[in-house]
Parts: sequence; structure tokens; C-alpha cells
Amino acid sequence: MANLRTCLAFLFLCCSLCDAVYEDQVGKFDWRQQYVGKVLFAHFESHSQASKKLILATDKNIVASLNPRTGDLFWRQVDKAGPEGHIDTLLFHGQDAVVVTGNGRLLRSWESSVGALNWEMLLDPGSFLAAVLVGTQDSVKFVAVLKKATVSLHYLSNGHQKWTETLPDSDTVHYQAVYSSGGSQLFVLGVVPHSHLSIITFNIEDGEITSQRSVDAPWLSSIQARCTVVGQGVLICADASTLSLYMLPLSSEEPVGLQQVPLQSLDLDLALGFQPVLLTTQPNPARPPLAQFFLQLGPDHHVLLQLSDGHLSPLRDFQPAFLVSFATTGEKTVAAVLSPKNETACSVSLYSADSGRRLLDTTVTIHLDPNGGKPEKLYVHAFLKKDDSVGYRVLVQTEDHTITFLQQPGRIVWTREEALADVVTMEMVDLPLTGTQAELEGEFGKKAAIQDGLAAMVLKRLSSQLILLQAWIAHLWKLFYDARKPRSQVKNEVTIETLARDEFNLQKMMVMVTASGKLFGIDSKSGMVLWKHYLRNVQPNAVFKLMVQRTTAHFPHPPQCTLLIKDKETGLAALHVFNPIFGKKSHVTPPTLSRPVLQSLLLPLMDQDYSKVLLLIDDEYKVTAFPSTKNVLQQLQEMASAIYFFLVDASQGKLSGFRLRKDLSTELIWEVVIPPEVQKIVAVKGKRANEHVHSQGRVMGDRSVLYKYLNPNLLAVVTESVDTHQERSFVGVFLIDGVTGRIIHEAVQRKARGPIHLVHSENWVVYEYWNAKSRRNEFSVLELFEGTELYNSTVFSSLDRPHLPQVLQQSYIFPSSISTMEATLTEKGITSRHLLVGLPSGAILSLPKMFLDPRRPEMATEQSREENLIPYAPEMPIRTEWFINYNQSVTRVRGIYTAPSGLESTCLVVAYGLDIFQTRVYPSKQFDVLKDDYDYVLISSVLFGLFFATMISKRLAQVKLLNRAWR
Amino acid sequence: NAVPTGGMEEVAVSTRGGGGTRRMKWALELSLGNTRSRGDRQSSQGDTLYPIGYSDKPVPDTSVQEADRNLVEKRCWDVALGPLKQIPMNLFIMYMSGNTISIFPIMMVCMMAWRPIQALMSLSATFKLLESSSQQWLQGIVYLIGNLLGSALAIYKCQSMGLLPTHSSDWLAFIEPPQRMEIMGGGMVL
Repeated sequence: MANLRTCLAFLFLCCSLCDAVYEDQVGKFDWRQQYVGKVLFAHFESHSQASKKLILATDKNIVASLNPRTGDLFWRQVDKAGPEGHIDTLLFHGQDAVVVTGNGRLLRSWESSVGALNWEMLLDPGSFLAAVLVGTQDSVKFVAVLKKATVSLHYLSNGHQKWTETLPDSDTVHYQAVYSSGGSQLFVLGVVPHSHLSIITFNIEDGEITSQRSVDAPWLSSIQARCTVVGQGVLICADASTLSLYMLPLSSEEPVGLQQVPLQSLDLDLALGFQPVLLTTQPNPARPPLAQFFLQLGPDHHVLLQLSDGHLSPLRDFQPAFLVSFATTGEKTVAAVLSPKNETACSVSLYSADSGRRLLDTTVTIHLDPNGGKPEKLYVHAFLKKDDSVGYRVLVQTEDHTITFLQQPGRIVWTREEALADVVTMEMVDLPLTGTQAELEGEFGKKAAIQDGLAAMVLKRLSSQLILLQAWIAHLWKLFYDARKPRSQVKNEVTIETLARDEFNLQKMMVMVTASGKLFGIDSKSGMVLWKHYLRNVQPNAVFKLMVQRTTAHFPHPPQCTLLIKDKETGLAALHVFNPIFGKKSHVTPPTLSRPVLQSLLLPLMDQDYSKVLLLIDDEYKVTAFPSTKNVLQQLQEMASAIYFFLVDASQGKLSGFRLRKDLSTELIWEVVIPPEVQKIVAVKGKRANEHVHSQGRVMGDRSVLYKYLNPNLLAVVTESVDTHQERSFVGVFLIDGVTGRIIHEAVQRKARGPIHLVHSENWVVYEYWNAKSRRNEFSVLELFEGTELYNSTVFSSLDRPHLPQVLQQSYIFPSSISTMEATLTEKGITSRHLLVGLPSGAILSLPKMFLDPRRPEMATEQSREENLIPYAPEMPIRTEWFINYNQSVTRVRGIYTAPSGLESTCLVVAYGLDIFQTRVYPSKQFDVLKDDYDYVLISSVLFGLFFATMISKRLAQVKLLNRAWR
Repeated sequence: NAVPTGGMEEVAVSTRGGGGTRRMKWALELSLGNTRSRGDRQSSQGDTLYPIGYSDKPVPDTSVQEADRNLVEKRCWDVALGPLKQIPMNLFIMYMSGNTISIFPIMMVCMMAWRPIQALMSLSATFKLLESSSQQWLQGIVYLIGNLLGSALAIYKCQSMGLLPTHSSDWLAFIEPPQRMEIMGGGMVL
């Protein structure tokens, strides 16, 4: 009976917890943006006129199709992350996009119109080198894949292998290229560096080697990019050392050597130290490549050359020209050349590939974003217009991973910010007040009150009230005006000028830092990119740390964010200080950091301009303050003895704590060494600085209080064993006080393995690991309590805490692995907490913290029921109504960011990975807001009805009294 | 002694009825002086005017008899013992309403608590009522004790329902977060 009752209670609890989105709420508070990443290969589908598509393969292991009109995704196929799913090449023919992935592991064909998988083939092992489409008798039938030791031919229609052949002498010869020109032969080219070139000819029908020869080429080290095949099977190689081009007909039977053509004989000159690059085009795989090709002689110097009757002749010299590309439509092939126009613009022009003549009216001007990068790649889609002239569209990829699609004459059709596929870190910043609100703020500012007298203040007050009234009336008028229009026509255009904080501070500015070094300011309500800023000289492996030094609360001082960028290789760091609302670089000059920076620390101290003090610790453990005004240095001197910081060196397994001295040097006060031979530190987490805990304890069933151990200096350190054997592997959790270095608690989870995800908040630590023995994912929760007595309720000092806290722990089985984890955060910490768990499936689960409570009893008692404790159940449920992103999966979710809003019930959530998803969560439901479907009509009609009923009955009562009096 | 007032009312009604639509068919004059109504009418003619309730005859002695005194005493004791008598009833109600916190038990407790408080607030009025009794002080004290007992019972009920802030958990929300003495930060070496 008791069991049944607990079950019922549990069910009731679960029912009351579900807060899934109603159908009409879809997209009301949330949005998702899907990205694909940096484009590696792009093809335009020009098969049929009606369905034009853009097929892309990216560095995020994605094959996708874009709508060229809008830039939206038609479909997207996401492969495994990492080298396993890396896309080696993308070949496109007709409706099929053939992809080689995972260093030649798989050969796949995607149907380009709907993104369905046509077929998939597992290839023989061996590292991938090249793949081409092979055509015979004017139709493309096969795909040839060249690997280190083998070459294989597959049918394009079903992927089956036609034949596979081992290559002779593959241990000495580096085979690097494969070529076919529509005949019955397949050429495989290999090189023995600085010795000779090896050419093997296969018969396409049966894979028999028809000829095999080697040509002396002592200058040649690599075929890729140095050599190419043009015209009727002539191999052309460029060599920087001899400043020559070399030609060799592939199919000739008699042994001829390479024919040397010095560049000087063509009146060409190579830029100093530049390796020449050849670019050719083969419009149809069943036909030989064009006889025209580009030779790049310098970073901005290209030459269009032609091979006719065994003679090379330059057709046109392009200087300056950054990027060149070929495009074919029908029988016409054109060359597109991108050349710089001025500082902020480039132009693309078309040239006839046959003659090198410029085509009229084909110039497209590209205006470059001053906050963006330089063009990096050019993809051209040419088409024949009705009057038989060539029209074209260009896809330009810039260094900051932006892809822009342009149409003649220079109109930008769409732009995609693909840098957002790789968000590293982010912050949410409150929007500034509107002008009127700012007026009020200014009025009651301290300085104003001192300057003005009483009368002036009264006048000021009246005028500002008048302004407020005016604004309110304008707002009402706008509401009224908008209400008359149909809903679809009302557009709330968000621009940087109209940005203002809303009533409940639900709209914020998301400042996102991406791996490419591009910063974005995104409006959290609409997801619109409001500003972007590309940091040019950021190394690809740089480490970022973003800090909000001054919020928008200190009008008229602008808000200020600081980004610490540390180059991994040199260790040197730079600070980028900017305004998070407008993205503009701040006038404040950050200190130049001459020594490698180890860590930074944002202090709650403020200088006279309300900007928080940032301390940067260099490798000599000296501290640099930013800003470093006299005021700040004085404050630092006063506070120095209370400022501590810790550094964790994972490679040496060393945790060390330091204390600041008055002269801004530091002294080591503690050190904990976790031997790196046994276990390595994988994560260290403190508590979030903006976290508030409302309740200092937990109420027990007998109405006594169990006080929480709320140590703001507590660190959770997680280690993994170096030995990954299933029986001996373990996961260690240490709770260390960051000020004193005291180990408050340590726990070892045997037979457990990473990856470990950790959340540390309030008085609890939740971590997730892989249980190697039971082969399942498990959650474990640690909760710390001080006991029924508070040691010191007014101040918390780590130096004066004689008693260790009571630690409770419980573990649960979780039915899925997880990608990332974060806890919700609210303004005052009254709302109950939820854990937001990003699952590999792309769902984001909002898991109530009450399920992860080490005080859950095995048997429900009267007291535990009083406390609302759910009886312990080892399995943690995943309920689909807990998915806060319903069907809006966030692919490869890497991080979840939570921010409090102005409403205590509401927490803003941003999940980022390949996609970006923003929503609001209400862990305790919306207790401070009227519901969306609140019946205003009913309530007001009841109120008015009662009011009139009272009036009428009062009148009736009066009449009755009078009548009675007359009686 | 209520007799003259009755007569006066009748007079008043009859005179007002003269102007109304419904005229009294007849009126009974119960006042002792027959002449008074005539005198009323004759007031304009300067006749002597007696006040209402004036009687020429001497009023009979209405001083408290011994039996009445006992009656008053009894009545006063009734008043004084009232609160005490309610206690068993309250106890029963308390038992019946249980310790769950819902609208009816809360209403009961409110009533139970409010009545003694109200009585204690109007203590002086009650004392005035008891003034005529000889055991005024004793009765007053009994009355006070009864009410105090009633309120004590209400407090006990609140206590057993858990409405009194007697546990540390009731003051939990008022504990301010402790002030942080040290500033700490850092992390993995970047």
C-alpha cells in the first residue's frame, strides 16, 4: 500500500513537473540557427534549370545542400566529428554527390535533391590520396579511388567495386594522382621524390596494367598542386627551383623525357620564394581537360596559359588577381578572376577561357566588410542567359568563414556566418536602457545631485516625467496602430539603434567568440547578428577567455567586455577590449603583456569608472592589473591580503594557491600534487561568480534546518586514471578549498572512465561518467552540509572553518551518454534548479535537480514525504516532455550557457554546437507571470459584472428602505 | 417603566399618520396623564406643557429586591464563566478539525483565536457590565482567565498545526548569505 502511495506521489510529482511547450508556443521564445562550418568543397548543381542547388562539404564533416536564392539549408548530413568523419573529397555529377570520408574509409553517394543516401561502400584500408570520376564514351560511369597501395574503380550507380588493383612498388613510389580523359585508360601518377616520375596505365574494363613507365624528374618532390594534366593528356609540372614548366604527353608509347619550358621564354617571372600552383578544369569527366590553365606565380599574380600543338603560350596576365576560378556552362568555359579594386572592395570579372578576352558587362563588385576577412575562395556558377551571353553568380568565402553569394551586378543575395558553427565561449550582456530611462538614471546620479540645487532638481524631475509620459503615449499609440494591422505585417525590426532593455530584461545581447577569431553580437530574442568583428591575427589554436568588465548598469559609461586571447604556441596573450552592445573596439588601451599569461582573475573591485579590475598572472607569477589607475592600485593594496588565486597545471598534476602581496607580486601558500603517472586532472570547476543562493539550508521533515555548506572558494577537481583498463580505471573527485588548499572531500569511483561532465553549484557537485564494469552512464551527486548549526552566519572565511562538512553522495543510472551539462541560473536563486543536459541526439534535457538529491530515501517515510523527497530509484528517467528544444535538435551540442533574466522564474538558455539554440526555461514554472492563456476577458467581465450588480443592488436596497419607511 | 415610551410612540405615529395616505383608524393612548395629548394640541394656546413621560403620580418604588439581586449575580457569573464554558466545545472542534492546513481548520483557528482577543479588547465594557455585582473582581478575574485559556488553546492549536514560527526552519528565509572574506579565482593554466 505504502509502495503504491509513493508511486502515486511520484507520478503526481512528475506530472506537475512537466513543462513541455505547447504547439502554439513553438518558436515564440526560442530560435535555432543551423550552420555547416568552413566550406572545403562546393559544387553548383546545374543539372536541371528548375532545381538549382548548392552542394557543400565542410570541415565539420558535413555534406549539405543550400538554397541559392535564400541561403537556407535544403538538407544537411552530419557525419561523425573528428578525423573519422573527415571529408576527403566531394565529387559531383548529375544528381549524385560522391563523398570519400574518414581518410578513405567510406565511399558514399548522396542524392542531391533530398539528401538521401544512394549507397555506401566500405573501402579497403589504406590512406586516401585522390579520387576522380571516370567516364567512357561520353558518359560518367565510375569513380576511381587512389589509395596508398591500391587503386579501385566503383560503379557510380550502386557503388559496387568493378575492380581493385595493387600498385607496383608502392613502398618506394608515392602515388598521388589519378587521371582519366574519357578513353579506356586510367592513369595513375606516382613520384619517387627527387628521382623519377612513375606513370601506370590501367585498362578501365578489367583493371589490367597496360603500360608502366618511369620518367626522370630529379627536381620533383610532389605531384599534388605542382602537376596537372591539361589538353589531350599532357602532364604539366611547375618547378620553382629551375623556374620552368615541364611537359610530358601521358599516352605516348615511345619513351620521351620531360620537355622543359623556362618561364623566361614565356616572359613570365615567379615571385620570390613562391611555389607555383597550377589550376586546370575538366568540365566533363568523360572528356579531356581544357587546354587552358592558370598558373599562379605570386600571391596576387595569375597567368592564363594555353597549350596548343605542344606549345605553351600565355593568353592573359592577371596582376593583381587574388583568386581565379573556372566555370562551365554548356560548351562555354569561362575564367573568373577576383582582383582588388580598392581598400574595401574587390571585383570579379569573367574572361573567355579560349581567348582570354574579357566578357562585357560581367564585373561584379564585392564590398568587403571592414570588420571581416579577406576573400579566400571563389566558386563561380555560370549559366547561359536567353541571349546566349554568359551570366554568373559567385560564392565568395572569406578568411572569417563567411560565405557570401552574389549576383550580377554586385547584389548580395545572402550571407552565412559559418564561423558560428564553432563557438568557443560566450557571455550575455544586458541591453542598455532607452534614452528616457537613461535620462532618469542621469537625473538621480550622484554627481548631478551634488551639482544642482533643489529647484533645479525639481525642474529636472518634472521635465523627465514629462518625457516619460510622452514616451508612454507614443508607445500606446504604436500598440494601437500595430493592433489594427494583421499580425504577419507587424515586423519588429531590431537594429542596433532600437536596442533597449525590455521590462523584464528578457532580451539580452549574446556576445559569442568563435574559434576563427570572429566575434559576434547576437540579439537573444530574434537571433539576428547585430554586429561582427573579425580579429585578424588570431592563431587557429588560440585560447579565449571572455570577461564582462563593466555592465550596462553604469550609464553614461559604456559597457565593456575584455577578451583574453592566448596563442598556444608562443604563450603570449593579447587583450581585446570592446563594447559588447556595438562591437566597437574600446578607446581604453589594454596593457601590453610581454610575458606569457597563465590565468586571469576578475575581481569584484571597481575603479572610479565602475569597471571591474582584471588581474593577469604571468609565468613569473607577477600580476598585472587592468585598468591600473592609481585608485585601483590603492584599492588593490588595501585588499591584497584577501585576494587569492589558484593555478592548475594538468601536465604536472599540480594545483597551487597563491596570495597577492601589496607590491603585486605573489607568494605560494599551498600546493597539492596529484601524481600525473597515476591520474590526470581533466576538469577544475569553481562556482559561478554571479550565482545567488537564496536559502541557506534545507528544511527537514521535523522542521529543523540542515544548513548548506556554501563555500564560495570551493573547487571541484576531477581526475581520470591514466590506466584505461576496465578493471583498473577510476575517476577521482576532489573538493579543495581554493584559499587554503585544504582537501574537503575526496571520492574515488572505481571501474569508471571519462569523459566526465561536471556541474558545480551551490552546495552540490554533479558529475557524469562511464561505468566500465556495468557498461552504462552514471550520474553521481555530492552534496555538502554544515549540519544543524551554522558555524558563522555573518561572514564566510575559508581560513576560519574548523569543521569539515557532512558529505552525502548518491549515484544514478542514466540511459544515455551526454555531451555537455549546465545548471540553470536565476536572479535571486529562489527558483528550484534544473540541470540542462545536452544529449548526443541533439536534445537538451531539463532534468530537475530534485532527482539528483543524495537525501532521497530508500524507503519513503513520513518525514521524507514531508520534505518532498522522491524515494530513491537507481534509474534516472528521460521524459520527452523534458526536452526543452522539442524537435529543434542542436547537433553536436558543445556548450550550454545560462543567464538569469529580470524575472526570478525565468532563465535564459543558449545551447551551442554546430547549431545555436536559444530559449527560456522556467524551472519552477512561471510563478511570477500571468499565463499566456490567462482569461482577461472572463476576469474583467466578472469584475465589471460584480461592480454593476453592487451598484444596482445598492439602488434597489435604497428604494426598498424608503418604501419601508413610508409604510 | 417602558409604558410611557410606548405611549409616546403611539402619539408620534398617530400625529405623523395624519399627513400620510394611510390614516390610523384608531389609537390607544396608554399614557397616564389623559390630558397630555390634549395638552399637546393645546400647546399653541399657551397651556402648561409637561415633558414626555411626566406623571403627576409618584413613581412606585422599583429598587432592587433581594431576589433580583440574586438574579443579577447569576447573570454576572454567566458572563464571567462564558469563556470557560466554551473551552470544551473548542477542544472538540480542535480535535475534529485535525492538523492539516486547509481552509476550514484555518477558519476555525482564526475564529478560536479571534474571539478571546476580541473579548480581551472589550474588557472594560465587560467590567462595566459586572459593576453591579458584588463579586465583581472575582468574576472579572475568572472572565480574564477564561479568555486567556481560550487564546492559549488557540495558540496550542496553531502550534500543533505548525503555524507558529518556533522552529529554526521558520527563520531560514531571513538568514542573509554570509559575507565573503576572501576573493578567489583562477583555473587551469591557459
